[in-house]
Amino acid sequence: MAVSALTLLLLTLDMVTLLVVGTMAVVLPAAAGLFLTAGLSAFGALLCLPPLLLQSSAGLIIPAGPPGLHLHLALGPMPAFFLLLILLGGAAIAAFQATARTRAAPKTAVCLSGTILSLLAADGVTLLLGSALMCGAVFPDWNRRRGLAVLLVPLLLFGAVCLLTPAGFAPRFDAIRAAPVGVDRASIAAVMSTAAIAGLICLRPQRGNHALAAGAVLPAGIAILIRLTADLSGQTVQAWWGVVLLAAGGGIAVLQAWRAAADAGIDDAVGNLVRRQAGLMMMGAGLALIAHAADLVQAQSVALQATMMLAVDSVLAGTVATLAAEAMAASAGTVRLSRLGGLIHTMPWTSAALAAGLIALSALPPGLGFAALWLLFQALLSAPRTAALPDQVPLALAALAIALSAAAATSAAVRIAGIAVLGRPRTPAGAGAPELARSARTILSALAALAVIAGLFPGPVIRALAAPAVRGLSGSSAGIRGGLTMLSTSAASPGYAALSVAALLAFATGCVILVLRWRRREGKAGSVWFGGMKPPVNLPFGEPMAQSAGAGFLPGLPDLPGPPRLLHRRHYRGFPRLSPGTIPAAAALWLVFAAFAILLLAVSVTGAGA
Amino acid sequence: MSLLLSLVAQILHVALMLAAAPLAAGGADWLEARFSGRSGASILLPWRDLVRLSRKTVAETDAGSPVLRFAPAAALGATIAAAALVPSFSRSMALSPLADILVIVSLLTVARVAMVLAALDAGAATPGLAAQQSSALAVPAEAALIIAVFAIALMAGGLNLDLAMGQMRDGGLGPAAASAVVLAALLALAVADDGFALSGLEQAETGNGVAVARLTGWLRRLVWIDLIGALFLPFGFATAGAGPLEWSIGLACWGLKLAVFIPCLCAARLTAGRVAARRATELAAFAIMLAVIAAAMVLTSARMA
Repeated sequence: MAVSALTLLLLTLDMVTLLVVGTMAVVLPAAAGLFLTAGLSAFGALLCLPPLLLQSSAGLIIPAGPPGLHLHLALGPMPAFFLLLILLGGAAIAAFQATARTRAAPKTAVCLSGTILSLLAADGVTLLLGSALMCGAVFPDWNRRRGLAVLLVPLLLFGAVCLLTPAGFAPRFDAIRAAPVGVDRASIAAVMSTAAIAGLICLRPQRGNHALAAGAVLPAGIAILIRLTADLSGQTVQAWWGVVLLAAGGGIAVLQAWRAAADAGIDDAVGNLVRRQAGLMMMGAGLALIAHAADLVQAQSVALQATMMLAVDSVLAGTVATLAAEAMAASAGTVRLSRLGGLIHTMPWTSAALAAGLIALSALPPGLGFAALWLLFQALLSAPRTAALPDQVPLALAALAIALSAAAATSAAVRIAGIAVLGRPRTPAGAGAPELARSARTILSALAALAVIAGLFPGPVIRALAAPAVRGLSGSSAGIRGGLTMLSTSAASPGYAALSVAALLAFATGCVILVLRWRRREGKAGSVWFGGMKPPVNLPFGEPMAQSAGAGFLPGLPDLPGPPRLLHRRHYRGFPRLSPGTIPAAAALWLVFAAFAILLLAVSVTGAGA
Repeated sequence: MSLLLSLVAQILHVALMLAAAPLAAGGADWLEARFSGRSGASILLPWRDLVRLSRKTVAETDAGSPVLRFAPAAALGATIAAAALVPSFSRSMALSPLADILVIVSLLTVARVAMVLAALDAGAATPGLAAQQSSALAVPAEAALIIAVFAIALMAGGLNLDLAMGQMRDGGLGPAAASAVVLAALLALAVADDGFALSGLEQAETGNGVAVARLTGWLRRLVWIDLIGALFLPFGFATAGAGPLEWSIGLACWGLKLAVFIPCLCAARLTAGRVAARRATELAAFAIMLAVIAAAMVLTSARMA
């Protein structure tokens, strides 16, 4: 207890110092401010270890703020888990920015300070201040009205806490836990929290802030969502809150993966892949709520562990991928994928780091993203089965959203790596793009190595880091099991062995390479890449337009007939009439499929197929 | 002794899969030609092609990175890894504990991704277009495959292939209607995958690379056939520890399954004609719908796995 109280005090001082560094950054040399930020973040990450290892909690009151509304802070296993990740990522981001000599010190330090404050918050006012600092440092574009919408996020979160607070009390979390409000108010608060975090995920950060969003803001947002729904409203949880979270998270996961496979900019594409992870985290939190409402402790633990594994993935892989993508764009002088290319030759280390990050962000074994996907499916499989259609259809649709998002994310990752890293340079600036400095390369390599290691040992990593937090939320030590290499959720099924799958893959590939070397004959210089012709004289890199420019990596959507435009006076021509020519053949085919689907669903409801 | 036998069965299984993949491709081409009224080439032609291609001189360029050189090997390695996990004549082999259905289908995705990256690394127009087409088709196809796997896991009570096979042998993956719908989805995906997953990607390769790319495609088709056979016809498998006599019965059953499935695939291809790229996407979307319906049917059925 004493250790936790001391840790909380030191973390609070760390947060205040970060805020001071952020506000004084204008007068400090840029590199000094960023190195200071990196050091303070790393120190904060170390401070989070004792509460995780000792599984203890502590509280602190700061005598500041309006009368009766002093700032309350608390540190338990769940905030410690998320803070450990976020401050580790924050330290890497600040150190990278320091070596890359950018003037991002104020934003990074203020954002990290706000993140610490919002995760340690034990009352509504502290949460409001922390989330406002966190969001205000990363998101708003003050010149655009839409950018200011981010300020709604802290207000919605504060409103949710106020709704959860019993009448006559200050909006403190201990009062909320002691006297839970009714289901109606708690439900409105849950919907408000979901709307706030969904909005936070969907907002696009300012250019250059994608790494902070991936490494700090999005995991912190999910932690706040879990705090407000699963923790503070634990006694009044309703299953339909989980369905709302599944719907919002599923929509975000599919939409962001789809955008990642179509965005023109490399930084936006990678940023969308990270936001897809946040959507999946929302789905995991939703599954945990559904299981909690049905008193299925094992299912709740698995869902929470899947969520936390996705958070680890977002911090490690998301940070390294966004930093590498931004470094490539800065080095080649453009963010447009269609003007990048061949960077593996000029920036091999950065390319390797980007590749490691992309593998972990997509659904390819043995990456960490695949382990998280596998665990998320386990959570879906162990979700309550009630045989009632309204309860079960959301689970089937959640599986559809996860699958679609995984497939689109893989296509997006292939597109980013294939267009920007591989192939021939498309511009002279791209052909001469300089590699990062050794120190920046070291930071990227360390983050990439951590992502790879976490992918190879997902079970031990999540058991070591997230077990205390999951135990605190679900009240049980159930969840994933298995040894050093196996990730399993039940004794009846062996599970997923990432290290063994990686070894099998490496062994099979190695055997093929050996056979090919044995059969290899002397090669000859050739230029099959230009169809047997020499490149034009004035285009020494060949015709850049001959290569794929990153379009066409998604399937065309079906041509469904749109709704009649009744509201547009310009198009109004009386009551709409459908002539036979208005429905294309493909739409007719889709209608037949839909009718078939309805028929089969009817069969399933009536039990005729059983 | 049992461990040794399961290891021997595993090695034999991988060797047989590698040997049978070109033969199955040759057999399918021969059957297709016979169905069309032509005499058809020898079923050993794919093997001869592999030998011929491996003797050709490789054209090398400065533009390509190590990805272009090693990606075909990685693709074949991933496909071999997937093939090692799907039983052909024997179950409970050495790698059976790793045989998670989601891992198997994801290894096939790894193989496709490796080939797509090699095609993009070539920096030429036609392989790039093939890479785009393959990626675009993969979005609905891989999504459908994952949902179908989810539906099977719901019916079997887990993602392990041996578990699903045991469940099927004991009383079928229920409910029966959902099982039939998943089978229809997997068959539609097999047809779409066979035509387009790796189509055109070998244009980036020369010599050995082309041989490896072709072998990858043929082995991929065999993995599909064995996976569907293992899930929906889990009969006639030997136990790895039982020894060579029972293995020979398992081998005969595997040959029988291939002899039934390959003509059916040829007949379907001939009847429906060559599937156009856009139709393949629609076929995959249709498979998504079937797989979701199957999952909903299992979830709403009263029977717990």
